[in-house]
Amino acid sequence: MSLDLHCEMILDEYRQSLPLYRQLEQEVRAALDRIIADNNLYVNAIESRIKTEESLRGKLEIKGQKYALLNDITDILGCRIITFYTDEVDKIASLVEKTFDIDWSNSVDKRKLRDLDRFGYVSLHYICHLPADRCHDARLRGFPFEIQMRTALQHVWATINHDMGYKGDIEVPREHLRNMNRIAGMLELADEQFSRIRNEVTNYRRQVQTLVADGDFAHVPLDSDTFSSYLDIHPFHKLAERIAAINQAEIYHDNLMPYTKVLLRLGFKTLDDVERLIRDCSDAAFQLASHQITGTDIDIIALSVSIQNLCCVYTLQHGYGVAGLEFLFNTLADNPKSNHQRAVRIFEQAHKINIV
Amino acid sequence: MQVIISSHDNQTVVTLTGRVDTTNAEQFLQDISPLMEGDNPDIVVDCSGMDYTSSQGLRVFLMLQKSVGSRKGRLVLKDMQPQVREVFDITGFSNIITIV
Repeated sequence: MSLDLHCEMILDEYRQSLPLYRQLEQEVRAALDRIIADNNLYVNAIESRIKTEESLRGKLEIKGQKYALLNDITDILGCRIITFYTDEVDKIASLVEKTFDIDWSNSVDKRKLRDLDRFGYVSLHYICHLPADRCHDARLRGFPFEIQMRTALQHVWATINHDMGYKGDIEVPREHLRNMNRIAGMLELADEQFSRIRNEVTNYRRQVQTLVADGDFAHVPLDSDTFSSYLDIHPFHKLAERIAAINQAEIYHDNLMPYTKVLLRLGFKTLDDVERLIRDCSDAAFQLASHQITGTDIDIIALSVSIQNLCCVYTLQHGYGVAGLEFLFNTLADNPKSNHQRAVRIFEQAHKINIV
Repeated sequence: MQVIISSHDNQTVVTLTGRVDTTNAEQFLQDISPLMEGDNPDIVVDCSGMDYTSSQGLRVFLMLQKSVGSRKGRLVLKDMQPQVREVFDITGFSNIITIV
């Protein structure tokens, strides 16, 4: 279908403006990347696109007379920020408001339009302009652009719905409308649940940090969250420093988190159990390390030598023998043959220095 | 010490033979420095011919591990002789680097 002269002029203006829109896209993307990073937000995706000539032509065919100028079309440049949680949509919206000039008369929070019979699971749309102090090129000031903010689940719903070819609720068959509404309701509930779970996890971690900081270990169950908080108070550094001092060695601070699994498999239930391990087994763990590295030219050790030797001593002192040590090493790395040799070697060393 | 670097099926294989000690750890580092950059971060080191490593050698392996890790790759040391494996075990380096 051919366009009338008015629409052809808008299309011509679009072609001439494309380089400026590309420049605008770069500036907007850079600003969005910056506000996300500066505020320590972690989003699912930031997307942007410039409307293609074909798509614009289609829009002008349908409602070309609505627009006097190209700048009346507010979504030539469209950006989308996809978040994981619903409350992050509001956080990002607030940052977008501070970063760009918002055309409130054309912006819409479609989330507030939801009614019982409303079709969709929709997002927040702002029509923006670059503010004067952010414009490296004054010509960009005149171009509006759209920023959509939605959760990942809203995005999935909208993308699938768009893929089916329905843009409004008028032409939608009733059965399709009903089914999409059912899914929208389910996803909205899922979004709320994800936010609730995230908040519970955050609160749990805060409580654990407080208990650990207060030394209230008996009330802290051992899991990856609590062990991570526990490591913040450096419980294994003292033993590692004792071991390092044997050869004036450097300590490389490696990740001790893999030992969470080992401690759990050894039957430890709380951080108090781990404290008891350190209290009861440190001397023997030091003796084992001393036997192993005294007289060698080793001048670097990993921090994990401390917890490794503590676990070995605990295993042997509880009578689990070579099989227990093998089990311990296999928990860390599945290498049965060399783990067996290592277990036998440590078992013999421990007996030689009478720590079992 | 001898270092031979080859590529098989998008994986880099380093064949290391002899002793890695204070006198040649710097050379070892230079030999493998091309592996510290680039798009092929998966590295297997064949250690079957390595009969000793000093702490300086451990440091070079640690640098390689950090470089590979930062590029989302994987460093694997394979077929280590028992006396070399013991050095990795008693220093805790077998907790840091994958040994098979």
